[in-house]
Amino acid sequence: MKLFLIIFFVAATVALIIAGLYQTPTASADTVGITSGSSLLAPKPDTPDRALTLFLQDMQRRNWRKAFGDVAQANGVDEQAMMQEWSGSNGSLRTFSSLEGFQLWPLHESNDDAQIRAHMRWSTPVGPVEEVRDFGMQRDGNIWKVVFSKIEVPATPAQVVPVTYLRWDLVTGGESGSWGSRNVDAPRVRIISMNAVDSAEGTVIVGEVTNEDTVPAFVNVNATLSDEDGKVLDEESSFDRIAHILLPKEVSPYRIDFPGIPLADVKNVRMDVRPALVPASADPVIGVINQKIDKDAQGNSVLRGELLNQSGETVNIPHVIASFYDGNGRVIWVSDGYIDRALVPLGSEPFAVEIPRSLAAKVQSYHVVVNHYDLKNS
Amino acid sequence: MLALALACPTAAQEVTVPRSAVAGTDVTLSTTGSGKADFYLVGPGVASKSKVSLGEEIRVPGDQLRYAGKYLAIACSATCNSGEFFVTAAQPASLAFLVHPSRVPARQPDAVSGVVLLFDKFDNLVVASETINFQVKGANETLFSRAISTHDGEAWFRTSSGKTAGAVRLMAAVGDLSAQRALQQVASEPCHLRIKAQPTAKGIEVETEPVRDCAGNPISDGTIVTFTGTDPEGKISIDAPIKGDVARAHMKDAEPVVISAACGVAMSNELRIDLKR
Amino acid sequence: MQSETTIKPSNNYSRPIPLLAILLVALAVHGPLLMMQLPSGSFDTNFHIFFASHYVHHWFNPWNEKWFAGFSQTTYPPLTHQWIALFSNVVGLNMGYMLVQLIAVLLLPVGVYRFARIWVDETAASCAALGSVFLGALAFLVYQAGQLATVASAALYLNALPYFYEWMTSASKLSLAKGVAIGWAAAAAHHVTLIFGLVLFAGPVLWVACLDAHKERVSASIAGAIGRAIAFAVLIGAGVGIILLPYWVAIIQHPIHQIPIPHDSRANFLLKTTAGINYFIIPYGALILALPFILWRGASAQRLRPLLWGFWVTAIFGLGGTTPLPRWLLGRAFEILTFERFTFWATLLAMPIVGQFAAEWLRRYRTKAAVGLSIAAVGTLSLALAWLAINPYRPTGTLNVDPVDAFLNRDGHDAYRYLTLGFGNELSKVSTYTDASTVDGEYNSARLLPEMTHYGSAQLTNAKFYGSAGMDSLRSMLRHASRYGLKFIFVHDPYYEPLLTFAGWRKIETFDEGSITAWEKDDVPPAHRILSDAVPPAWQGLMWGTLPIGASALAIFLEVFFPNKRRVPVSIPVHPRKENQFVA
Repeated sequence: MKLFLIIFFVAATVALIIAGLYQTPTASADTVGITSGSSLLAPKPDTPDRALTLFLQDMQRRNWRKAFGDVAQANGVDEQAMMQEWSGSNGSLRTFSSLEGFQLWPLHESNDDAQIRAHMRWSTPVGPVEEVRDFGMQRDGNIWKVVFSKIEVPATPAQVVPVTYLRWDLVTGGESGSWGSRNVDAPRVRIISMNAVDSAEGTVIVGEVTNEDTVPAFVNVNATLSDEDGKVLDEESSFDRIAHILLPKEVSPYRIDFPGIPLADVKNVRMDVRPALVPASADPVIGVINQKIDKDAQGNSVLRGELLNQSGETVNIPHVIASFYDGNGRVIWVSDGYIDRALVPLGSEPFAVEIPRSLAAKVQSYHVVVNHYDLKNS
Repeated sequence: MLALALACPTAAQEVTVPRSAVAGTDVTLSTTGSGKADFYLVGPGVASKSKVSLGEEIRVPGDQLRYAGKYLAIACSATCNSGEFFVTAAQPASLAFLVHPSRVPARQPDAVSGVVLLFDKFDNLVVASETINFQVKGANETLFSRAISTHDGEAWFRTSSGKTAGAVRLMAAVGDLSAQRALQQVASEPCHLRIKAQPTAKGIEVETEPVRDCAGNPISDGTIVTFTGTDPEGKISIDAPIKGDVARAHMKDAEPVVISAACGVAMSNELRIDLKR
Repeated sequence: MQSETTIKPSNNYSRPIPLLAILLVALAVHGPLLMMQLPSGSFDTNFHIFFASHYVHHWFNPWNEKWFAGFSQTTYPPLTHQWIALFSNVVGLNMGYMLVQLIAVLLLPVGVYRFARIWVDETAASCAALGSVFLGALAFLVYQAGQLATVASAALYLNALPYFYEWMTSASKLSLAKGVAIGWAAAAAHHVTLIFGLVLFAGPVLWVACLDAHKERVSASIAGAIGRAIAFAVLIGAGVGIILLPYWVAIIQHPIHQIPIPHDSRANFLLKTTAGINYFIIPYGALILALPFILWRGASAQRLRPLLWGFWVTAIFGLGGTTPLPRWLLGRAFEILTFERFTFWATLLAMPIVGQFAAEWLRRYRTKAAVGLSIAAVGTLSLALAWLAINPYRPTGTLNVDPVDAFLNRDGHDAYRYLTLGFGNELSKVSTYTDASTVDGEYNSARLLPEMTHYGSAQLTNAKFYGSAGMDSLRSMLRHASRYGLKFIFVHDPYYEPLLTFAGWRKIETFDEGSITAWEKDDVPPAHRILSDAVPPAWQGLMWGTLPIGASALAIFLEVFFPNKRRVPVSIPVHPRKENQFVA
């Protein structure tokens, strides 16, 4: 009995542990950003798929040395460059991002090389970001290695960029003073257009707001939907789909989503814009060049273009908000997207924002506004 | 206390009160009868009780009469008697001058308003009519100057904004008292936006001519001018702020390009540039 | 039997260690650490203090407006928090917590001793009790995890089980009364321990009672033992049903439907080595070396087999996702539970056998064994304490949150709700000392706001650690800032600043040399009360304020006024061993 029990407990424990290795890992066991350590039982990279999986797992864990060991050395990428390219620089969105997961799609495979498309999902402070990247794979003896092609960033030559800062500061003064001596009006802002769109996810309110004053304004647009009986269905705000700080005469698109509320249920939309005086800076100036509507690989309409930083300071996280107009000049959609690389002085970065299929045919023109986050001025 | 007074039947002693008094000044009340009595004074912000001798004058110190309004004096011995009197505000000691707005575009009719409220040293509203001298002065002009009498303690004016951008001083004075406010008169909508372009080694340098409103006031720095270019590669747009009356943008373009600009409701001329020619 | 004849009773190493000496050792080891407030930096300490602070001000009103825009504290058994609240009137909240924790730590070796006496002789039981003072799992729970309620409840359960055994085997009514009262108090301290303790701890005790009855080592029959066990269970069940009635009502009214929240104790420790170190190596420490002996000895003696089964099942559960067994048996509950407590219970279940091992070694190797066992015990505790400083899970620790509280408590700022980002468990400390309320909170099971339950993340203050799920939850909450009056956000991690900037918050102040920044959104209206159907009625508040603390008072009363006669359940040599069986 004793021996039987001992054998049973040992065998059952070993069997359960082995079974544990083959069970699907649970998402509820993984936190992001905490060092997880390496695996005691790592499979051998004997297929392109497995080799790329191991490489991406090492990159995910920021185990650079080990990941660099998975890379074919032929294309002259050093560990430092690989690390910098992967984890970003200049306080860009990528520097805040963690690779959360990935899916691999083999494109082709021969005896000595292979091509795999990785659909990577990054967790960032501004929401999840999807990235599609093709990796070349190379056989090295009986294992496979990743051909890591570095993304070429155009080097900006050293130069002197004149900086003439234009800034507004808010001076509130002291506590004392007679009645009415320090009254300052809130900036005058106006919603210049509003349109309710019925999308697959629910009602979407899109439009534009402008600052009609001579001082910068902080704006946020709120919308309240009510039904036929006047009952409030939902109240939402433009959140990050607006440029909150508007300089004089600046126009920003806005978009307010009401997921799960069909437009047919909505009888009334009440708009509310609340401006406030805030300190602001007129720099940097970011040009939007080469804008045109194009098709992506899946055949969806996208607005592509490039952002060009015309200032002498780095823009860490650029945010593109585009409004699309129909033939009557009415705003019919607003899309936005974050750029995961920083805009260095006089540098440029490409962007693309999607247009829904149902609206793509109606789009006649568009307007792009660039919002930004700067580490220095935050 | 009022109920107490009303409940008291008329008695031998009487309280004689002045018809009116001025806030902060002593008041003397006379009584008839004899013996001791309780004296109550009830008014805005005060309720006091003291012992008095009937037949003698009662002196109410000024610090008990600081607030304008109706006061009730009650004397009670075996029975109670009372009298009412009004305390009015003292001489104006301060004025509140409220001006709206704090920023105003030039040449706007009835865009500027101001209101004055007069108070004495105890912050009582002075309802007696006083004449307020209003003056609104721009950099080079007097926009408004008028003497206006207060009604129920306030006087107000409304006027148009001036032609010239800059600080505007608004003054209100009565006797030795005066208050001064400032508002910013700013340029109106841009007028006649014109742009010019210059090819450089790196592309095209586009800039506006000085941007002004229809009265010739320079548009405020920081105002956004949107430059738009169209070339075979696509559309170019740059939101550039005005700095020193002029907005500038740089377009990296070697292709033929059509450039225009807009600021508020103003549209610029259109430039066609072909660097290859 | 051969070796037993060689044991000399007069040998110092064969005599039981007095319980008072064990308590003094526990006091000497853990007293200074607790008085230095070492658990202050643990994960859950601030959480327990926060709960206790509510009872200080609202003993009979469990509805707490300070977290989640309002939640009911009936979702967590209150005993330890109420005792902290009572002590805090004299020594303050922090020291009140340390005192209650110290009491739990002192109750543990007593419980282990009494529990071990069911299985082994007095010397072995005293060795087990002394060993429990140095358990890595205990240090882990007290100083790293801050799981006060788990420790207190386990200690109480261990103290209740010998009465359960006595009641089953000798039908002692006093044992029944004491066992039931202590069991109620244990349930009032921690609900999870109650549910699993019934199976993992009481199961082996019932089994061994039946064995003893079968072998006629006790006067009871098997049927009698089982019958009395059922009576005991009914009394416990009925009492716990009444004492924790507001808890059951709350959990039935709002079952936990939220998306599972990641926790590394559910990981496969072989694939995630840091989790393996944290949840296996550190809690077990030198006990890992004793595992073969536990298995060998547990399987050798028939009386120890129930204990071995209990230990094995609990230990397998403690391995989290390393094996599929917990998932198979627990189903969806696997995604809700955390598994470090199972390891703690496993070590407690192992202690009688380990005590047996220690006693035998001491008899045999005397000073050498004493030195070796001491090094192993102290090494285990030291390793767990050292791990506090070097483990990647350690809380951020010493963040000065006083300026945040000062900001919230001035100029009417408490009319709005607030949020902290990057504060970790310091959130509870902020909440304890301000009148303002937050939409966040540290107790996941009490969350009802859809912005939190619809995503697989825990606290918003730690949103980034839950990846996209966490950030989506945070975005959803920020999107509804006006709805909740969420105007102020305090940031201790620049990671969140881009989101706040793009979402329309502005930095308005910096505190503590820039380590904390305050952000404000201008257009947010003042907070108003969020209507909830989870507000407990007054009668529940009255029950909550009287019955749990009453259960502990009853247990104390019975222990003090009806002390045990020095009677032990059974004293049976359980180890027929041959000398060469465990000589290396």
